Amino acid sequence: MEEIMMSVKSISKSYGSNLVLKDVSMDIKKGEVVCIIGPSGSGKSTFLRCLNLLEIPTAGDIIFQDQSILNGKIKVNKYRQNVGMVFQGYYLFNLKKVIDNITMAPRSLNKKKKELAEKEACELLDKVGLLEKKDVYPSSLSGGQKQRVAIARALAMDPELLLFDEPTSALDPELVGEVLKVIKKLANDGMTMIVVTHEMGFARDVADRVIFMEGGYIVEQGTPKEIFENPQNLRTQEFLARIL
Amino acid sequence: MNLNWTDAFNNLVPSLLQGVVVVLQTTISSFLIAVVVGLLVAICRLTQLKIVKGFFATLVEIVRGTPLLVQLFYIYYVVPLILDNILKSMGNSSANIQFSAVAAGIAGLSINYGAYISEVFRSAILSIDDGQKESGLALGFTYYQVLWKIIIPQAFANSIPVLGNYLVMMIKDTSLLAIISVSELLLRTQTYASQTFETIESYTILAGVYLLLSLPLSQLMKLLEKKMKVLH
Repeated sequence: MEEIMMSVKSISKSYGSNLVLKDVSMDIKKGEVVCIIGPSGSGKSTFLRCLNLLEIPTAGDIIFQDQSILNGKIKVNKYRQNVGMVFQGYYLFNLKKVIDNITMAPRSLNKKKKELAEKEACELLDKVGLLEKKDVYPSSLSGGQKQRVAIARALAMDPELLLFDEPTSALDPELVGEVLKVIKKLANDGMTMIVVTHEMGFARDVADRVIFMEGGYIVEQGTPKEIFENPQNLRTQEFLARIL
Repeated sequence: MNLNWTDAFNNLVPSLLQGVVVVLQTTISSFLIAVVVGLLVAICRLTQLKIVKGFFATLVEIVRGTPLLVQLFYIYYVVPLILDNILKSMGNSSANIQFSAVAAGIAGLSINYGAYISEVFRSAILSIDDGQKESGLALGFTYYQVLWKIIIPQAFANSIPVLGNYLVMMIKDTSLLAIISVSELLLRTQTYASQTFETIESYTILAGVYLLLSLPLSQLMKLLEKKMKVLH
């Protein structure tokens, strides 16, 4: 039996009277890659942001490694060190060189020595194929390169779980591939990941499980084969027909 | 016209050089204090606490709504009187508080520029993309670590052109300190001109000295600005 890393128990999120996430539950196992698909405004990103508490769910609970992260007993910042996040807009620190972007969190939060942090950062940069860019500033990078640095930055904290919030949606089409390749490599290395994406081909290739969300609900979930080849729910069928 | 430039140069310039030292000392200390004050006020105005927010907003409005000249007068002449009266009412009849002119000048410039600079920082902080904050939080930094390590350095860097502008303005505004008897450039020139009647020469030289002080600074700022652009 595989170990359950995170268990989301019927969380909801509302802004005032606007309910954007309705009673969403899911488990994620260690090493699993989950892709969340669905139309925009369906609550995918809100759901993802709830998982590292950038949004606080208004109801329900989230259990991470057998501990509730919502009962106020854990330190939120410590918890977030276990859960990396990659954003649509990269958000690199533009005053810092690429290497310093990556070493900043390990050095300041884990008190890693500069040499060690830099050595590890170089390994990560090598992994995302950007070692030769280690001493440049982010402004000179392309979108795809920025996103790969952002991935390396998130990996530098050695997270248990990595969240991707539409990592390729801001990229020019010809740059999407290089970022997806890196994420795929992480998947092969056994990284536990939840990826909100519009790249159906990627979801089909890489995901162990695909979740279709609409209107704040999980409408349907299953293996890529089940969702893409034989969707049961009418709304899933309509969504896939529209975009495939 | 019978102008005596040589005489004016030989006698006024040495005095003005001493005045330049006063101007630079006053400007540098006032500007550093103003930047610190501005940063702290900006941060206080960005907290969620309504009382703190309102208090500093009112303070900034009062300072920005009154002329610097009046503020200097107030600090130098009025504040000591108020303190005297308070002390007297507490039974200390021998109180005779006086500020040194330079100290009062530095206080006035720091407070006045601090108020303006706080607005610069406040808008610079607000203009940093929320994603910067979120990516910092997501890495595991606390809110205050994000503020000091990520947001404020970027806001500060973005503010450099405007700060440079204020620095040049402050150098020129030190001339207002003449009115509270700081022997800076204007007061020295005034004294010299009224003794020698070399009015045209004196004030022309004075204007030249101010230009010599502010022009290199503006150029330096332009260079810095160019350097910062590379990062965006």
